[in-house]
Amino acid sequence: MMAECTINDNIDESDSDYSDEDFETYYHPMEYGDSEENHNPVDAEDPELFPVECLTMEQVEMFLNEAVNSVCHILNINMSLAKLFLLFNNWDVEKIISGYKLDITSFLISSRVLPTLQSQQQSANIDDNDCQCEQQQPGSGNIINDNVFICPVCTCSSLKSLGLCLECQHTFCTECWTTYVEVKISEGQSTEITCMAQNCNLLLQEVIALKLPISSYLKLQYQHFAFHNYVISHPLLRFCVGPNCNVIFKAKQSLAKRIVCPQCKSVFCFKCGDSYHAPTDCATIKNWLTKCADDSETANYFSAHTKDCPNCNICIEKNGGCNHMQCYKCRHDFCWMCLGDWKGHGSEYYECSRYKENSETANESAKARAALRKYLHYYERWQNHAKSLKLEEKTLEKIKDRINQKVMNGSGTWIDWQYLLDAAALLAKCRYTLQYTYPYAYYMNNESKNLFEYQQAQLEAEIENLSWKVERAETTDRGDLENQMYIAEKRRKTLLKDFFQT
Amino acid sequence: MANIASQRIKREFKEVIRSEEVARCSIKVELLDDNYSQLKGEIAGPPDTPYEGGKFLLEIKVPETYPFNPPKVKFLTKVWHPNISSVTGAICLDILKDQWAAAMTLRTVLLSLQALMASPEPDDPQDAVVARQYKGFPEIFISTAEHWTNIYAGGSRKKEEYSKKIERLMGIGCNMDQALVALSGCNWDLDKAIEQIFG
Repeated sequence: MMAECTINDNIDESDSDYSDEDFETYYHPMEYGDSEENHNPVDAEDPELFPVECLTMEQVEMFLNEAVNSVCHILNINMSLAKLFLLFNNWDVEKIISGYKLDITSFLISSRVLPTLQSQQQSANIDDNDCQCEQQQPGSGNIINDNVFICPVCTCSSLKSLGLCLECQHTFCTECWTTYVEVKISEGQSTEITCMAQNCNLLLQEVIALKLPISSYLKLQYQHFAFHNYVISHPLLRFCVGPNCNVIFKAKQSLAKRIVCPQCKSVFCFKCGDSYHAPTDCATIKNWLTKCADDSETANYFSAHTKDCPNCNICIEKNGGCNHMQCYKCRHDFCWMCLGDWKGHGSEYYECSRYKENSETANESAKARAALRKYLHYYERWQNHAKSLKLEEKTLEKIKDRINQKVMNGSGTWIDWQYLLDAAALLAKCRYTLQYTYPYAYYMNNESKNLFEYQQAQLEAEIENLSWKVERAETTDRGDLENQMYIAEKRRKTLLKDFFQT
Repeated sequence: MANIASQRIKREFKEVIRSEEVARCSIKVELLDDNYSQLKGEIAGPPDTPYEGGKFLLEIKVPETYPFNPPKVKFLTKVWHPNISSVTGAICLDILKDQWAAAMTLRTVLLSLQALMASPEPDDPQDAVVARQYKGFPEIFISTAEHWTNIYAGGSRKKEEYSKKIERLMGIGCNMDQALVALSGCNWDLDKAIEQIFG
């Protein structure tokens, strides 16, 4: 087993491994260790290694503009249109270029620049006009004479030269467009603003929107919202999830790896932006959390208050104190504690040691119960480790107090006791991963499940050993503790290496 | 903003009055105040549906940002329909939410509502109880909707069996609305309805 072969490796590495990524980065962080990029030969194989750059808004703008400029340049189109293409195609420049060259019309239709039933000829002109044109066809029937039309929104007549329409030729007066765009921006919209006509989903491009006489404040707002949309749609960029934190991360690949914000210390998954969840993947953890939110209360109630009748498997709620139960359906007498036949309970009232797993799962309610039992198995462990993490946070506080006392009393310096903090940090890190192995196992359904559960059990055992030793740190030999830290971390890394697919 | 709103409503009001649907008594709009922000709408239940023969009143509130935002519309007349709350009259219809376009008018809204009554969308329900009945027991749904139309909107079709069950419940102290809601929601199972009300 891979988990076994690493224990006897060089123990000295453990120090450099753990020291810069401390407990703090998980809970109430104070300083950022650029840990994943600290180079250690072992780290090269670290399954959690994920180099990211922290960018400011200006840097992100430059980065985005590179893509915009290259699209503009290659396809010879304006920036506004290039941005729209990028927004719709996950910023994949190659895909845009090949799609555009393959079939311009359908590309423009799918990007919501051209209406679906538009002639080829009009699409060819898209480069040299800004999608702004005067109403040319009498299609909408709003034309009074050659110079005047009625705007269908304000129902006022207006000079045709003051009208504005997209490629769909739905013309409205500039005043209505302006008010419309102002209303939409104040509702938080920007790049998603569409034509005002019914069933027309053509997008109002940035260049047109910003040419309208809207207030400079709303123009800024528009640019702000648009920038937000660009970053969110870009697979290699991610806003920090921390409240009021402006950091934007840039990675080389879009993977479900851990990000630790150097500014606000938030920890999250790069791909989905939720709490980091290795070894489980983004979709699975989402399912799990939804399931927990839906089920846990009902499930808890079921497990606490109901049992299946051992004879007919109907679900029974205990509504009195007596443990001698009689099923209202099949009249079977049984013991609530052990679910055994009541007949055997004569004189030795509570010797209920004869519990056996009920293998009869024939009917529906028993199947549901079996599914629930499976879920509860994983849920309880998931919850339990979450609780342990909280409790161990308190242990950390105690350790800090004790270190302070020791330093004040002159027994060693702060540096001498630093290893205790490292141990607590490592414990938190390992337990966090352990917690997230349970949703993984719950949804796992293949041959490697045995191996996974074996490694999970190994990890769990070592973590409990470590936790035991951390709680008794003063009476534990430092070498022993560090050895334990090393083993636990190795187990964690091995499990991630084998099962964490980003 | 408010200026465009009232100007538009004034125009639209005339448009509806003049429209051929009014001539056929199928839709109607009435002003409730001078600044054109509150209106009362009325639509006829579409033919060949359980709502045929009924008149359904609507509350229409026009926001200041109209027509760039949709009007707020709800049913004042109680109606049994998967996309309309049987309790509050709230409507689930895309054009009253994100599919609204500034070029739409009160007339298009009322006609869309009529179309919605004729073809419900049970997969996007406003009232889950009604939607479940619509999918699971279509015949009960039709007769229930007819009964509601009869009681609240002046339709002519009703079931004697339903009336008797409602009377039974009223005999033991329920009011009519309460009895009708409970029975309709329990597919007219009297015992279940009693349990729901008194349980």
